[in-house]
Amino acid sequence: SQSFSSAALKSPTDLDAVLGKDLGALRDIVVNANPAHPPLSLLVLHGLLCQHYRVLSSVHVHSSVASVPPQLMSCLGPRHPDSYARHMFQLGFTLIWKNVPKVQMKFSIQNMCPIEGEANIARFLYKLLVPYPSDPAVATLVDSWVDTAFFQLAEGSTKERSAVLRALNSALGRSPWVAGSEYSLADMACYCCVMRSGSASAAPANVQRWIKSCENLGHFKPAKMLQ
Amino acid sequence: MALNLTINTTNPPLGALLAAEHVKDSVKVSVEEGKDTRLHVSDVIQFSDCNSISRYLARVAPALGLYGSNTMEQTEVDHWLEFSAQRLCGNSGLAVALAELDKALSLRTFLVGHSLTLADISVWASLKGHVEWQSQGKSFSHVSRWFFFLNSQVPFSAVGNKYTKKHVPLTKSNSDEK
Repeated sequence: SQSFSSAALKSPTDLDAVLGKDLGALRDIVVNANPAHPPLSLLVLHGLLCQHYRVLSSVHVHSSVASVPPQLMSCLGPRHPDSYARHMFQLGFTLIWKNVPKVQMKFSIQNMCPIEGEANIARFLYKLLVPYPSDPAVATLVDSWVDTAFFQLAEGSTKERSAVLRALNSALGRSPWVAGSEYSLADMACYCCVMRSGSASAAPANVQRWIKSCENLGHFKPAKMLQ
Repeated sequence: MALNLTINTTNPPLGALLAAEHVKDSVKVSVEEGKDTRLHVSDVIQFSDCNSISRYLARVAPALGLYGSNTMEQTEVDHWLEFSAQRLCGNSGLAVALAELDKALSLRTFLVGHSLTLADISVWASLKGHVEWQSQGKSFSHVSRWFFFLNSQVPFSAVGNKYTKKHVPLTKSNSDEK
């Protein structure tokens, strides 16, 4: 359980089990995101989805956005050589840079309302990779940290941010990962939001050590590249 | 298993109280008045925000389906939990949020799936505690229908009557309570 990737590979999540039976059409995840605030955690999760599933990825620009820097156009990697054949893929991932106040996700297959907020989209994508902790207290602790990361660390005031960094430091003094002994979405959310807030270099000791552990996992490259 | 929920009565966590009321046959939650809202789970795990408390209570009583019945419904519940906390608090953008909610409820009895979930509980609680809702509510017919349908159900009416009285802004007639 030290490495997230190896743990996830040991028990790969079956898409049919999570999303219901495949009815033939490509399950398409469409994300509308504002280029002023690239959703780092979703790019990281996209990278992990590509390691586990055959993902057909594409990036588009909506007319509400004048121009998008090249690194945001290539953030989902090179175009897949088989992209003409949708049936060869398990999952579609379409990122549209659009002038939206909050990140939105539409999931094409199920009758699901549009999902707003990076935290909620991250929860959904994460569940396609690894099941949530079965213990209600641990699962809720993960969710609580995810909310704290996105609302207080990424968007909060300087005062809120330093309070969260202190709380993070003491949590990481008790256990190796944010929500306990296992790596979880809480770590991914906190890592991306620490990076986004630019507070990594000024973070307290346990947080610094944990940042290194996160980076050793190797899947945060998409978040680093956009810094 | 008995849980201890401390509530700040000047700003009662209606959503958490309603969730506690719904799960009471599966989990005993004792409610106490105190300085800060907090659900004590263990010495190391305590939750102090309304959404975390509601999530935890829904998860310890999974048979009720308050967190939805599959991953897609869970995600929709997550969406509405954030919506209730971020979009329905404060006065800016309330009309825009209500218009979105109205659209979502136009063909539905419940916000997510075919039964009550935390989505209904948290959105109802935010509107119930919102001063502006009563004056703006009439313009949103689907939200009104849904709101008053829930309002008339027992756990909602009981929790609403018990905890929202203290929400009334201080006026001449009740300022002596202060």
